[in-house]
Amino acid sequence: MTTDTTIPAGTAAGSGAGPEIRPPAEVRHAGELATLAAWDAERGHERPPGWRLSPRAVRAFVVGSEELGVSRKFYGDDPLVDRAVVSLMGRQGLMLVGEPGTAKSMLSELLSAAVSGSSTLTVQGTAGTTEDHVRYSWNYALLVSEGPSERSLVPSPVCTGMREGRVVRFEEITRCAPEIQDTLVSILSEKQLMVPELGPDARVAARPGFTVIATANLKDRGVHEMSAALKRRFSFETVAPVRDRDFEIELVQRQLEAELGPRGDSPEVPREVLEVLVTVFQDLRTGSTREGAPVKRPETVMSTAEAVNVAVAASLEARYLGDGTVTTAEVARQIAGVALKGEEEDARRLRHYVDNVVRERARHDAGWKAFFGAAESLWR
Amino acid sequence: MAVTAGATDALWEAAPGRLRSAARAVRTLRSERGVYFAPVRHHSPACAVAVRVAIEELRPSVVLIEGPEEFTRLVPDLLHEATRPPVAVLSLDAGAGFYPLASFSPEWVALRAGQAVGAGLAFIDRSFGERSDEERAVSGQEDPFARTLMSERYLAHSEAVATLARRLGCRDHDEVWDHLFETRPSSALADWRTLFDDVFAWAALARLDYEQSVLAADGSLDREARMAARIAEALDRRDADTGAGSGAAGSGAGPAGDAAEASRGPVLVVTGAFHTLALVEALSGAPDGAAVRDRQPEAGYGAPEPDEAWLVRYDHERLDGLRGYGAGMPSPGYYERLHAAHLRELGLDDTPPGQAGATAGSGGRSAARSSGGRGGVGRGGAGAGSAGPVGPGALAAEVLVDVARGAADRGHAVSLPQVTAAAEAATRLADLRERAFPGRTDLLDAMRSCYVQDDGGIGGPGEPERPLGLAIAEVFGGRALGDLPPGNASPPLVRDARARVQAVRLAVDDPMPRTARLDARRTPSHRERRQVLALLDFVGSGFGQLVSGPDHVAGRGLHLVTEEWRYCWTPLVEARLVELVHLGATLDAVAVARLHEAEARLTESASGSGGGASVDAAARLVAQTLVIGMGTHLPRITSLLRTTMDTDRDLDSVVSGARRLLGLWHARVELGAQEHADELLDLVDQALATAAYLVGDVGKVRAEDEDAAVGTLIALRSLLRDTAAARVHGPGASASARRRAAEAGAGTAGDLADAVDPGAAGRLAVVREMGRLRDGDTTAPGVTGALLALGFTDGTVPDDVLVARVRGALSAGADPGIAVRFLGGVMRAAPDLILHTPEMFDAVDGALRTLEADAFLAVLPDLRRAFTWLRPTETHRLARRVAERTGARVEQVDVRVALAEEDLAVGLALEQELTAVLERDGLAGWGTAGRDRRGTA
Repeated sequence: MTTDTTIPAGTAAGSGAGPEIRPPAEVRHAGELATLAAWDAERGHERPPGWRLSPRAVRAFVVGSEELGVSRKFYGDDPLVDRAVVSLMGRQGLMLVGEPGTAKSMLSELLSAAVSGSSTLTVQGTAGTTEDHVRYSWNYALLVSEGPSERSLVPSPVCTGMREGRVVRFEEITRCAPEIQDTLVSILSEKQLMVPELGPDARVAARPGFTVIATANLKDRGVHEMSAALKRRFSFETVAPVRDRDFEIELVQRQLEAELGPRGDSPEVPREVLEVLVTVFQDLRTGSTREGAPVKRPETVMSTAEAVNVAVAASLEARYLGDGTVTTAEVARQIAGVALKGEEEDARRLRHYVDNVVRERARHDAGWKAFFGAAESLWR
Repeated sequence: MAVTAGATDALWEAAPGRLRSAARAVRTLRSERGVYFAPVRHHSPACAVAVRVAIEELRPSVVLIEGPEEFTRLVPDLLHEATRPPVAVLSLDAGAGFYPLASFSPEWVALRAGQAVGAGLAFIDRSFGERSDEERAVSGQEDPFARTLMSERYLAHSEAVATLARRLGCRDHDEVWDHLFETRPSSALADWRTLFDDVFAWAALARLDYEQSVLAADGSLDREARMAARIAEALDRRDADTGAGSGAAGSGAGPAGDAAEASRGPVLVVTGAFHTLALVEALSGAPDGAAVRDRQPEAGYGAPEPDEAWLVRYDHERLDGLRGYGAGMPSPGYYERLHAAHLRELGLDDTPPGQAGATAGSGGRSAARSSGGRGGVGRGGAGAGSAGPVGPGALAAEVLVDVARGAADRGHAVSLPQVTAAAEAATRLADLRERAFPGRTDLLDAMRSCYVQDDGGIGGPGEPERPLGLAIAEVFGGRALGDLPPGNASPPLVRDARARVQAVRLAVDDPMPRTARLDARRTPSHRERRQVLALLDFVGSGFGQLVSGPDHVAGRGLHLVTEEWRYCWTPLVEARLVELVHLGATLDAVAVARLHEAEARLTESASGSGGGASVDAAARLVAQTLVIGMGTHLPRITSLLRTTMDTDRDLDSVVSGARRLLGLWHARVELGAQEHADELLDLVDQALATAAYLVGDVGKVRAEDEDAAVGTLIALRSLLRDTAAARVHGPGASASARRRAAEAGAGTAGDLADAVDPGAAGRLAVVREMGRLRDGDTTAPGVTGALLALGFTDGTVPDDVLVARVRGALSAGADPGIAVRFLGGVMRAAPDLILHTPEMFDAVDGALRTLEADAFLAVLPDLRRAFTWLRPTETHRLARRVAERTGARVEQVDVRVALAEEDLAVGLALEQELTAVLERDGLAGWGTAGRDRRGTA
């Protein structure tokens, strides 16, 4: 491992060269976390061993609470949040599955920030993830000079999480090879990690509060199967795409504000424009319009995250290239570039959508008309 | 989740003024007039428990229940010890309306517990017949069975409830209700005063969302006016009886020892909580109650109208299905268990031990029976107790285990650790959501967490069906089916139908779909079953349906021996039967009425201007009559059929009708119609005689109908053969007659007159008429061709005649269109003729060769169709023959060429160019030679 072990957990490597693009959740929402901790103390809520907050406070952190002034961060499925919080109290890990862009990672980050106060103990799964990333590796210079010792051992995030009793996030677990995934099997069932190099009895024992939140995509291209043994050690929760249109508009709006910074810096995206954007995404995602007309679904996942990307790009276009007002025309131009990943077939599906659905709507609605005008000239 | 059970007390301070004064009025009415309100939600176990405890404590003299007042007549039947919920009261007045009662319905509990303390029981709502169409429309749906009289859409759509749901983190108003009321511990439910106060506040808040005009338009105010008046009447009566005025009921605190004398006890009013506010305001004289009071007639409402109402059995499935209509709570199976668990906890469970205990089963019949048995609230002494979880906390484990078993039975294994984890998760979820024990949604969420190990969800509504979803549906939906006492409570028709079904040993005890495989030909008992199934199908009960096997009415699958029926005795069947009561009191009577209807329709069309009734339709009715085993009515219908034969001018209808009759004759054994066998054959003979008369008309058929006419002739000819065969093998035919008839059937003009075959003359006449038509000059060419081919196959047309006629029809100079129609008729009737008769092949070949290109193109479509009657192997042989003739190789002919329209255009252009070049060079003859060859190929 190349990580510099002198950087304590929770600190961004190479900090100091300007503000972080995206600080972790516990930093962004430090105030709310403090409020909730105070609320717990005041009400005498019981905290599960190893937790920084009570389950109710964790829930409030994610779904928001008006009385406490805590913002809602996850939309659309409150029972899912309840189940996730409860799963974290159990012996099993929590597996969040679902299509890309359904805010699985965001949910896992929020939960670990609330439960453990940090969301940075993260294994980012790729095809190149090795067992060392999950268990531990060695500082080879020290290993050669001192032999295997506590000092020369480089703990993985999993290892650290066990020692400190914290939540470990394992992102995109199905992108790792199955044998790497299975490293977790015995860790999750025995709650200990043997380190034979340090002696026959050397082990890292998990403290209360340790658990794993994994996120996975079961259907995307290039993902691996998960073994039954591993599945048994997780509670599965499916995160569904946002179905509620108003919720999605609100979600995009908030994320947009977060991405573009405080108002005034960048042109605001009017709600009518967002409505058009979200409607397009929902139509294409579900394969039918709200009126029930069939639409050809693109291969690309039309996730809310992509909708936010489109909105950001449209706003930037209006700011730097346009007259400073975001219209549906900017949205139309950006959808092709941002959302569609260059699949010729998808472009044809989009044209079909424009020809059949947008053309009709453009007759009655100015917003759709602008969208249609831009899309028609561009997507031919 | 700030609002928890009991905390609603504090909210009274923040409540709107109208609500606060209503709350004061509730107390005044209690103390001064001795009237207690039990605001309930339909099918709420929490309210049911509270009603039970309240009745046992108050010992009311009268219990008044929301429900059309004509139902009061049925109270003795509802109280009958053989009555097991779920049952429903059915109102029939311009459509059916149902009033379902489950074991955990507060109304049901009120009836049974009220009976136990000797209270008078009455329904007090406006009668179903008086309700307006709009009112029925909102409470009902297209599905008649969903037309429940307990609509609660106001609660479902109330803005106040929606806000509450958001605030509490609940997904819908059902969960709000569960959160606030159903997850109270048993002891809190026993504190019925608090519970009813809270329910009252909850519903009253929802009611304040609605405009008075909305409530007036849909009849709510009229109903409340009626209920308020009936309550007032009951109070006056009680006060008159006891001679005591206000305060007769005492304060109501503690077991009302002074109210032991039943007639002096208070009046308890059990209504949907949504109405309580209006009733309280109307009775207390509050200004807000004027809208309701003003609707009451000066002279009072008088005695309830004796409207028709019946008891029908109901089941959990329907009850659950009502959820979509906002008429009650979902998951009756779960709530039934919850109710039972509460009763056990409170020591109120008085089910005889033998009748219970199977709740842990994963559904199925045993569970259905036992759960029906548990409904007996208020009967006998307490303390017997039944096995099962004591208290709602213990229920969670039972439910989780049952779902796990149900899922395992369906192939989705759930391990013990998963069940344990789910139990743990359910408890934690309840804790997180601040509930006393895991409620319905907590259990469902726990199972979603712990039983699902992929991203497919649990399956069910909106998702593909999965084993887990089915298991959950079974446990939460429940399988219970109610039962009714024998007697007059259920409509006589329903009783008769049930008895008929039971008599042939088909299952009626549970609503599980079943399959019956019947071999009616060999097994008499199967014949009876089939008859009952067909009879119930004919009257439109929806009890069973024929899945496969011979369908004599439709004339399908007649070659099959066994038949398969799927059937299921659902309450819907009873409901449909109930809708038929006006036709008769027994199944047979209804069937006869239905037959009469069908006959009337036939006669009507016969006398109408529309060309008269069809023989086929009449024959269909004959088939129907026999299939449902009503052979005694056959004479009437056959005489109708005979009349129809005189008027029907459609040969096709006559032939298909006769074919149907012959099919019935063949099936006489399995239909149990042996005694009608001769009659059927006679009818066939008569139909053939009619056909002989009508055959002549076919000659005048127009070109576009020619194909159908040819089809009819072919059917007629095969009917001739089959009828002859039937006569030969039929009963009463002697050996010699058989031989002779066989000869006649083969078509030779044998000496048939003296054969012991009454139909022979008719068949001969048909043969004669067909011959006449064949030789007629004006006969349509396709018909001529077909008849010639048929005659040749039957041996009535000699080879040389056939060849001569074919040559003549196809000779040079003949109209190509007519020639091709003729050829089409021949090919359809006997496609292989062209292969077996070289002369005919020559004639066809010659005719096609001489066709001009334009003429050839014009007839090509018909020509192609004519040759499609050949089987693929025959086509292959023909192609070989053609290849030999033209000197081409078979492979060249028998090749599949994919040509597009453009190819054709290119080819034609090329040909024209080539022709021009050839002509220019004086070689025009080359071009025409090539065209000839193409025509043949």
